[in-house]
Amino acid sequence: MSESFIKNIPVQEYDVVIVGAGLAGTSAAMDIQKAGKKVAVISKLHPLRSHSGAAQGGINAALSAEDSPDLHAFDTVKGSDYLADQNAVEFMCQKAPETVRWIANCGAVFSRSSDGHIAMRPFGGATKPRACYAKDRTGLALLQTVYEQAIAAGVRFFSEWYVSDLIYKDGVTRGVVAFDLLGLNYTIFNAKAVMFATGGYARAYKVTTNAHANTGDGLSIVARHGLPLEDMEFVQFHPTGLAGRGILISEAARGEGGRLYNSEGERFMEKYAPESKELAPRDIISRCIAMEIREGRGVGPKKDAVEIRLMHLGERLIMTRLPELRDLAITFLGQDMIVEPVYISPTAHYSMGGIPCDIEGHVKKDSRGTIVTGLYAAGECACVSVHGANRLGCNSLLDALVFGRHTAETIINDLNNGTLILHKVTAEDADAAIGEVEGILHSKGEESVPVLRDRLRESMTENAGVFRTEESLLKEREILAELSERYRHIHIDDKNRVYNTDLEEAIELGHMLDYARFIVEGAIARKESRGAHFRYDYPERDDKNFLKHSYMFMHSDGTIKIEYGDVHIGKFKPKKRIY
Amino acid sequence: MEKKRITFKVFRFNPAVDDLPHYESYVMEVKKDALVLDILNRIKWEFDGSFTYRRSCRHGICGSCSIRVNGKVVLSCKENVFELTDIFGDLLVLEPQNKQKVIKDMVIDRVDFWNKYTEVKPFLVAKYDEHPEVEARVSPDEASLMLDSDICIQCANCYSVCPSVRVNEKYYGPAAFVKAYRFIVDTRDHNKKERIDIINEPEKGVWDCVKCYKCAEVCPKGVNPIEKITLLHNQVFKEGRAKNNVATRHAIGFKKSIQKNGFLDEGFLVRYSEGIFGTMKHLREAFDMFRRGKIKMPWNMPSKPKKMNEIKQLIKVASKIECRRKW
Ligand SMILES: Cc1cc2nc3c(=O)[nH]c(=O)nc-3n(C[C@H](O)[C@H](O)[C@H](O)COP(=O)(O)OP(=O)(O)OC[C@H]3O[C@@H](n4cnc5c(N)ncnc54)[C@H](O)[C@@H]3O)c2cc1C
Ligand code: SF4
Ligand code: SF4
Ligand code: FES
Repeated sequence: MSESFIKNIPVQEYDVVIVGAGLAGTSAAMDIQKAGKKVAVISKLHPLRSHSGAAQGGINAALSAEDSPDLHAFDTVKGSDYLADQNAVEFMCQKAPETVRWIANCGAVFSRSSDGHIAMRPFGGATKPRACYAKDRTGLALLQTVYEQAIAAGVRFFSEWYVSDLIYKDGVTRGVVAFDLLGLNYTIFNAKAVMFATGGYARAYKVTTNAHANTGDGLSIVARHGLPLEDMEFVQFHPTGLAGRGILISEAARGEGGRLYNSEGERFMEKYAPESKELAPRDIISRCIAMEIREGRGVGPKKDAVEIRLMHLGERLIMTRLPELRDLAITFLGQDMIVEPVYISPTAHYSMGGIPCDIEGHVKKDSRGTIVTGLYAAGECACVSVHGANRLGCNSLLDALVFGRHTAETIINDLNNGTLILHKVTAEDADAAIGEVEGILHSKGEESVPVLRDRLRESMTENAGVFRTEESLLKEREILAELSERYRHIHIDDKNRVYNTDLEEAIELGHMLDYARFIVEGAIARKESRGAHFRYDYPERDDKNFLKHSYMFMHSDGTIKIEYGDVHIGKFKPKKRIY
Repeated sequence: MEKKRITFKVFRFNPAVDDLPHYESYVMEVKKDALVLDILNRIKWEFDGSFTYRRSCRHGICGSCSIRVNGKVVLSCKENVFELTDIFGDLLVLEPQNKQKVIKDMVIDRVDFWNKYTEVKPFLVAKYDEHPEVEARVSPDEASLMLDSDICIQCANCYSVCPSVRVNEKYYGPAAFVKAYRFIVDTRDHNKKERIDIINEPEKGVWDCVKCYKCAEVCPKGVNPIEKITLLHNQVFKEGRAKNNVATRHAIGFKKSIQKNGFLDEGFLVRYSEGIFGTMKHLREAFDMFRRGKIKMPWNMPSKPKKMNEIKQLIKVASKIECRRKW
């Protein structure tokens, strides 16, 4: 890398730069643009390719007369195993009805009931049917709509641009460093406010529903600046992934009446959750399935799956409400749910933890809630926390949309009242980022990225998955240390600057290795079982010691320090969770 | 699980090092459940890290991963390899969706595709309340007018096979019309007039469709763009805004052909609407269509359907509103 290249790095100035063009980032950008601010959205994928588009089942809102935001909030808090911050939950559930109506009025094509209202279906852990849906392609309908309205508003998108660093110095946010995939040209985006909306991190697991792009970049980028990540040990395993592949069969399949059976033909949820059966929350069902498999009652060639049966619903219902799911099971397993059972097993799905934020979307720098000026986050990469230890189905599209837009409002206010100013940047601010990228580009080591990545993902699934123990987690800690060391000696095959996805995958692996440590350290320290985090050696919830959020900080030597912060308890006092 | 040895002959081009594209072969043991995307991943992860393609969701919903296998456009994460070898044998040729627009290996430049997407104004135009107390009602019947046009994932499969796009780069193409259609039938939209103007534009608009049905054949989501294009044609006639040009003549010719024969004689159609010189420029497609059995030679014309009267009756009903014929 020549000297002059760094000096000539172009700088673009904005009021706001948003990293990520999923539901959270794009909806925020639209509102900020409409408020007359200069905003840019940077996304490593074309916005419409973002993972929000993959959401199937629905988005929650208490729209019906028999339902209420209060009930929605209660279900959410109970589902979270009482770790969610109740002020945030209340806010989200209150906002849900108007948010869903708003996006419908913007054009989203929801499925409708015969009287023209938005149709709703039951979902796990919800006492009333409140999942508003567009067949089984809800995410696609919503993402299209916000993107369409964002281009109508004139938002500027930098698509297929990769953000590799945050410029954060002396406690102030100055912007980000990014490059275009097309030509690997660096640009500094200098901004008064930076918002992260980079989505989830379940890609660290071998069996996952997540897209290739869900490598949690935003989290590691933030964490490398000494800022904390919150509740990272909570990774949701969805009970119904297509066996072996992890591809999601949405909870809508159970919402519409799908039933789970083991190899003995037993509808096993009847014994674990006699009330709600297949509509118990995800963490519980995932554990039950894992238990059935462990005890030898699995189906399939490796006996590592159970059956979901939908035949009794009939072809008509399946074709009108679950066409995409049927198609997926046929493509990936050759099983047609209209006439036969489909093999499923738990799969890493959703990231409850993330960049700690207050309700307004400000990023927090410690467990006491001190905010970082100019830095914001929303969507799956953020932890507000509305999902606590376990997210309920259809609450995350809601989270992305409600907090995406609310964070936009906060940013607009912060800009208007003069809290935010443009802190100048110099070419040196991009040095670290450019050094990292160019270092990988010219690397000459022995280690291969795909090999390390496979090892990471397999070991995380095995040691930090549905069931965890002190022993498995300590083992994973060592594996991660070893992999991080080996990562320093990687090489990549592609040494060119044009559309270099070899380079991109290598950078992403670096991010995965970093945030995986937070998952493991958080899980080691949390000596209890709560929501999605289940420890064989500590099978009970321990409110006395662990009704707390974990805030974890990474030191420059890679070690992680944990602080615990209070949970905001409101009117719902922690109780035992029975379904 | 059943396995077999398959040779993949792969289009490779890296503008930083290659002057010209070339093909590279990779031989692999492939399992019965493997999808084309699994193969792309294996080439990158096991053979050559510089191999480049787009992908993200890996289950047919993000629209990133379309390529061609032995000339057939496929969404690679949804296409089973064995099904392809059943058709093409054990040598599969992997190429980008459109070789003319290649950036690197399977990655192509999509700027034209996205520009056309934006040009048809793909957003609802309506006054809506920022904090609505009630939702706009849409009956299931009204929603069903969309005919699933809202599930297009912008994979550009249809666009890449459309012969009209190939001969006329201004033509918006099937995916953009699907978008346009989606908003034209949306009962909440307030921009219908402008939308019709856009799709009615000469050269760019719906009249340059030659009704080859290729777009419908290759759509991985079953969107059926030509169905929407035909409905847009009707819509333009209905609004009385059809202009007398090659294109509308094409539509009228379409009708005539059906009136006369009871089925569409595509050869007649082109001769009728463009005259003999105009026809020459379509020879390539004509040949294609002939091969695929779309154009019948006079001696092979199927006999008229028995219910000719019924068809004529149907046409009469369907074209109550018709533009004036001046030729
Ligand atoms: C298969 C599946 C089904 C789901 N179904 C449902 C459901 O039915 N209901 C529900 O409520 N939730 C569902 N979810 C969860 C929900 O879809 C997500 O939580 C939500 O869409 C996240 O939105 P987001 O905007 O935060 O992130 P995403 O939509 O993931 O967007 C992330 C964005 O960040 C960009 N990005 C990331 N890193 C970088 C970088 N380094 N540089 C530049 N850009 C970057 C990406 O390009 C992308 O644009 C589902 C999830 C999955 C995996
Ligand atoms: S039917 Fe029309 S739009 Fe479709 S591929 Fe043929 S010419 Fe193109
Ligand atoms: S209409 Fe079908 S083929 Fe065309 S872009 Fe949309 S999904 Fe792809
Ligand atoms: S990877 Fe998303 S459609 Fe194929």
